[in-house]
Order: sequence, then structure tokens, then C-alpha cells
Amino acid sequence: MIELRDVSKRYGSVEALREVSFTAPEKHIVGLLGINGAGKSTALNILTGYFPPTSGQVLVGGVDMLRDPRACKRQIGYLPEKPPLYDEMTVRDYLRFAAQLKDVKRASIPAHVEEIIGLTGLKEVRGRVIGHLSKGYRQRVGLAQALCGNPETLVLDEPTVGLDPRQVSEIRTLMQQLSLEHTIIFSSHMLAEIQQMCDRVVILHRGRVVREADLDDLTDTDGRIHLRVSIAADETRLLPALKGLPFVRRVRQHTSAQPGVTEVTLDCDADGAGRGDPRVQLFRLLAGLDAPILHLAQERDSLEDVFLRVTSGEEAAAV
Amino acid sequence: MIAVWKREMQSYFYTPVGYVFMGVFLMLSSVIFYLQIMRQRSSDLLTFIGTMSYLWMLLCPVLTMRLLAEERQKATDQLLITSPVSLPGIVLGKYLAAVTVTLVTVALTFVYVFVVMLYGQVFDGELLTGYLGFILQGCAFLAVDLFISGLCRTPVTAAILAFGMNFALWMMDLLVSAVPASLGKVLSFLSLYSRNEPFLMGQLSYASIVYDVVITCIFLAAAVYTLDARRYRGKGA
Repeated sequence: MIELRDVSKRYGSVEALREVSFTAPEKHIVGLLGINGAGKSTALNILTGYFPPTSGQVLVGGVDMLRDPRACKRQIGYLPEKPPLYDEMTVRDYLRFAAQLKDVKRASIPAHVEEIIGLTGLKEVRGRVIGHLSKGYRQRVGLAQALCGNPETLVLDEPTVGLDPRQVSEIRTLMQQLSLEHTIIFSSHMLAEIQQMCDRVVILHRGRVVREADLDDLTDTDGRIHLRVSIAADETRLLPALKGLPFVRRVRQHTSAQPGVTEVTLDCDADGAGRGDPRVQLFRLLAGLDAPILHLAQERDSLEDVFLRVTSGEEAAAV
Repeated sequence: MIAVWKREMQSYFYTPVGYVFMGVFLMLSSVIFYLQIMRQRSSDLLTFIGTMSYLWMLLCPVLTMRLLAEERQKATDQLLITSPVSLPGIVLGKYLAAVTVTLVTVALTFVYVFVVMLYGQVFDGELLTGYLGFILQGCAFLAVDLFISGLCRTPVTAAILAFGMNFALWMMDLLVSAVPASLGKVLSFLSLYSRNEPFLMGQLSYASIVYDVVITCIFLAAAVYTLDARRYRGKGA
């Protein structure tokens, strides 16, 4: 398990990270999400010991990175945004070098490297010079390097950026396969990727953690629910009444295909402003207005909704 | 450290750098050997070694320029620093690789000694002392130039700056006679070239040995410090 505790990082007068705390539980895929410049790469660089934090602690398996960097680094494999490859080396020589760096026992290096080559699909190119490889293969070699020494945690900084759709799919499949054995922390600004891959999400904005939760909780909680309702009534009569409900924060109207039917999504407080289930209150209101409900469904926040809310508008301004 | 040393050794000979260094060094030393030994019909190998020592100024930057600067330029330092290897281990591994290539090159110059031994007399003690000074001086230049590589973003800048630094060290020697005596003494004391003179007279000077070793250690420590300071500033090594 990896944990960041109140980590801050200053670059001169610029505060890149401000009291960032989050945890990556064992054998989970944790996605670090944020717009460009949110502090994702800085957080990962600190997490892997590339930079020391200005203040705060990085704990790897309970060990403080500053106290015993060697023990911590042995447990982490890191693929930076730009894979750290030596173009003049062959894939096999490079991976042997990486294995030596990661303290793999000399006698077991050849077998270890061959195993990783097999796992990452590099068999065809293992004797080739890295400088001659395609971007997809270079990314794979970078990932293979991170696997050397069989670290418990893999830290991957935007591992699919710049790859074609097929390569993206291959890398994602490989990550899912690896997550059975390893904890994976990866950064991305692609919401679909995070939604598809992660168990847990940490959203960074302006150097702060603005959300940290399991993916299901992140899109389910936050004290809000969304009710999509089709009502057999005229909107001019209906909308003022809906907006007047104390638990309704926002009313979004949709175009209805049927005449005389109003379709809306209500962003509501989950507790109905302290008066109980908002669906019950809504039913009572509409019954009183003689406006029959044709359809009522509760919708969850999408990751995009959450992300946009926390990285723009009121919540982001509060950061 | 051993892993870093091995990679650098491979890198020297996967790329033309190692061959260029050895080739140019041996070519220029051959010219010196021809001019000072063969043409003069001399067996004065110490003078020959003394002249060869100017090659350090020219060629050490070739070996050191990419050692740290290229890691920074290509961001491959991320692999080294996030691996369980200490910064002194990284710097020492790289330095020792450069020293190894240098020692192999120096060993090849023994051919000249054998040629002289065939036709003249060689004094073993003098020769060994001369070579000891020559190697220590080379090691000190490598440490200075490695430190400069750690300061630079690109190998080309590192090479130019290292050459400039080496040239300045040589100029310092020339300045001795042009400045007041007290300052001249200081410059002479600090000069890597003046400090090598006892060896070239066949004297095993402990002061000069200590000086070369201290210079080497100071610049290696400075290289480690530079990398570490850059990490703290958040710009990687």
C-alpha cells in the first residue's frame, strides 16, 4: 500500500502540490485524474522518490520514503510520461540493466527478463535496438522496465498518451492483467480511461486533492441525486413549482417528443432538504398539481459530471 | 553502482564515443611520440608523458560530456533515481566507467614504452612515477568534467564548458608569471598542471598524489550535490 500524507511541493514561488493526501490500497487500480497542470506528474514523481516533497510524507508499505528510500524504491516500478529509454541499447540489454538496478539477483536476471518480455509482448523485438522501435513498442519497453524486480506497485504516468487506438487497447488490457498481481497508480486526463480501468479515483485540481473515493462511491455520493421525470403537464405550470421545491438545486429541461409532456432532470439533495426521500416529496407535489408522472428514474452522477463540477465552477473556485 | 558502470561501458562502445576517444588519443600520442622520441632519437619518456598530459584537456570532455547531461536531456535519469541506487552510486558508476576507458587507453600507450625499450634504456621507477602522475591527473580532469556535465542540459554544452574549464586550468598555469608572486603561488598550488611536475621529474610526490585525489573527490562530491540539489528544486537530476 502507498500513502501520501499532507504532501506539498513548491517550485520556487509556485506551489505545485498543496497538502495532498491519498491512499492506494493493495491490488487496486487507482486513477489520478486532473486537467493539465493539476499536479499529477509532480505527485507521481514524489511518490516514486524522483523528487522529495517540500513537506509531508510518502509511505510505501508503511516505510517512509525519506527514511529508507532504497527499500521503498524496490517496491515501486515507474513508467514516467516519457519512457526513460536508452536508444542505443537493445530491448534485452536494457531490461537486464533495469533488473540489475532493481537489485534482482544476478543468476535469476536472464529468466526474469525473459518472463517480462513474454508478459509485455516484446518477444519479436527483444534483440532490436530501442531507438528503432515504434512508439507503441517503446511504451511497452517502458512498462517492462517498470516490471523489473517484480515491484508490488506500478506507477504509470499517462501510459496511453500518444498511442493509436489499438495500442491503447493493448496497454489497457495489459494493465488489467497486471492489476491481478500489482497495485497500479496511473495518471490520466481521459475520463473514459479512468472510468474503464480504475477501482478508485483521486481527482487533483490546482495541486489539491478535490475528491478521493472508490469509483462507485464517487459517482454515487456527494449528497446529490438526479431524478429524470416525464410528466403529463404543461411546462409553464410545472417548472415554477419544481423550482420552488426546497431540495431541488437545478432543473434541466429536455425536449420531449410527445406534446403536452414535460421532461426534466432534477438535481436534488439526497436527503430532500431534511424532509425525507425527494421522490416522495415530488410525487406529492405533482399529485397536488394533478400532473401525472409518466416515468421517474434516478440517475447517478457520471465521472464527467463529478470531474467538471470539482474542476470548474463553485467547488473549484473554493480550492 | 556496478550496473551503472556496466551500462556506461556498453554505451561507450555501442556508440562511437569510446572509439573516438581512444582513436584520437592514440593518434595524437603517436604524433607526439614520433616528434619527441623517434625524430629526436630520444628515450626521454617523461617528457613524452608530460606532453601527452595536455591531451586530457582536449579529450576528457569527450568521455564525460554525455554522462549526466544526456540523462537529463533525455529524462533517463528518472529510471536511475527511482531505482534503489544512491546518487553517489550513480555518479561513481559513471565516473569509474570513464576512468576504465581512460585506463585501457593509457595501457595501449605502453606500446611506445616497448618500442623505446627495444632501442634505448628505460628507468622503471621514473616511468612508473610518470605514468602514475599522468593517470591521477587524467582522473582529476574526468572528475572536473563530470561535474560540469552534471550542470548542463545537453552534452554539447557540457563538452564546450568542460573544454573551457580545462583550458582555464591550463591558462591559470600560464598566469603564474604574469601576476604578483603571492597570487602566483596560489595559482601554482591549485594548478593541475604544476602539481604534475614532480611526477615528470621522476619524483613520487605524496603532496601531488593527495592533491589529485582531493580534487577528484571534491568534484565527484560536487556532482552528487548538484544532482541532489536539482531534485530538491523539483527539476530531476
